[in-house]
Parts: sequence; C-alpha cells; structure tokens
Amino acid sequence: MIADKRVITDDTLKRKVSIVGLNEGMTPGGFLQVQIEVLNQKNSMQNFSYRFEWFDMNGMLINTPTSVWIPRQIEGQETLSITAVAPTTTAKDFRVKFMENVRKD
Amino acid sequence: MKPNFYSILLPVSALLIFGGCATHTQYVETTGPRTIVTTDINIQDFSYAAEDMIKSLLASGALDKTQIQPAMLAISRIVNNTTQQIDTDLLIKKIRVALNQSGKALTTTTMGIGGIAEDPMAKGIQQEKEFYADKKEPQRMPNFTLSGKIIEKRDRQDDVRQVTYAFQLSLTNNDGLAVWEEEKQITKQGKRGVIGW
Repeated sequence: MIADKRVITDDTLKRKVSIVGLNEGMTPGGFLQVQIEVLNQKNSMQNFSYRFEWFDMNGMLINTPTSVWIPRQIEGQETLSITAVAPTTTAKDFRVKFMENVRKD
Repeated sequence: MKPNFYSILLPVSALLIFGGCATHTQYVETTGPRTIVTTDINIQDFSYAAEDMIKSLLASGALDKTQIQPAMLAISRIVNNTTQQIDTDLLIKKIRVALNQSGKALTTTTMGIGGIAEDPMAKGIQQEKEFYADKKEPQRMPNFTLSGKIIEKRDRQDDVRQVTYAFQLSLTNNDGLAVWEEEKQITKQGKRGVIGW
C-alpha cells in the first residue's frame, strides 16, 4: 500500500479500497500526468468518488473547470487505474481525494 | 388554564400536515457528489465528459503541432442526437475554458458555422480595424475546428432501464484531418418505478 500525503482517503473507504501504485510523469506538451492504481480489498463492488486538485509552484490552488468529483465503481478484488492530466503547465504538484459515495441512489 | 389533549392535537396536526409540505432547499456544489442523479443528462455528466476530453486532448499533444502558439480553434457543429433539449455549450464551454487556461489554444468568437459570429460586435470591430488599416493583413485562420455529437441509447431488461450517453468530439486540422478524436460514454441504470419510461 502506498502512503503518500498527497493521496487522501476517508477512513471508511480506506478499509475497503487501497492505493497500491502512484506514477508521475510529463506529457510531451509539458503537463504533469498522474496515474493512481487502486485495489478493492473486498469481494463486493465498491462505489467511490475522487477529485484531483492542482497546485502551482507557490502552492496556490489552480482553479479549473475540470476539477470535479468523479464517481467510479470497482468490482471485488479488482484493480483500477485512474489517470489525470494537469490543466496547465504551471501545475507542479497535485492532491487527490478519495471518498465513499455520499449518495446511495 | 391547563391545556387538554384536543387543544394540543390541533396545532400539532396542522404542523405535521403543512410542515410536511414544506420544501427543504439547499445549495450543493455543482461539481460535487451530492448533485441529483437522474437518467436525463445531468449537469455533472457534462463535467465528467469535459474532464475526460480535456485530459485526453492535452495528453495527446495535438495542439502543440502548430507553428504559432497558442493554436487557434474554431467551434464547428456539435450535434445533439439525444431525446432531450440541451445546450451543448454546457460541454463545449468547459473545454474552451480549460484550453484557454492551458495556454495551448485560443478560441475565435468571430468565426462560426455559416459565417455567423458568436460575438457579432467583435467581428464588426475586426472588420472596421481591417478597413482603416493602411495595409490589410491576411486574417489568421483557425488551425483547428472542434466538432462533435452527443448520442443517447436506451435499453431495458425486465424492470431495469439503462441509458447511455456517448459524447464524441473530433479536432480537425486545416488539412481536413481529424488529428484527435475521443469518446466518453456515461451509463446510468434505474428501475421502472423510479423513472417514467
């Protein structure tokens, strides 16, 4: 399991879904690119949402229309790769938040 | 006077009856996880599609291959092939804003399908500037056009209803070649009792 302070998971979800990989790179155009691999430790399907936040070299949050909570499903014992690309080349760091779905519909 | 059972029953009943009819409205984050989910295209579906499209477009490097940076983009036809009346700007504007912020492309507002400018005043100013200029410089033409389609597909099995929305976009260069294409599908399921189709 990866322990990175930039990856934040709520306590309930942490018991079911864990982060098992984190890769960082740059696109040919100079955008920061992140890939996170998550594993469902349970046998049942899990629903969760995640959101990436991007920060410039001064640690200021970059406001972007693409920073949204995205719902995903992961089947039991399955791994899933989540990728994200920074909205600007000025984004030097990121933070990603995972949480269990708050809506049960 | 000591209140009896009936003197309390009346106001309590009224409170329950009319209080039950009161609506509870609150603000929710538009891009957050508490927005309403229906089988129609919801506001968050445009956000999910735009996020995926931008990620793919920026990672492709397609916009980096022009001589003059940032690239110039014109918006072509975005076809709504769903059963719903939707404003495709809910998708396209997010992409435009993100491209503008990325520094990789700027969108023209003086060119549109059929010669209709999105911003007629800007087009008028541009024409006037050209008229009064001593030497008329050739107008910069868009490097790319963005076109697309939103498609709806409905299926059902027993009492389960499923709807899929396919968001398709193509970026075409001025040689007429689609240099980037992407499709994002969003599928939702509901039961017959919940939805009216």
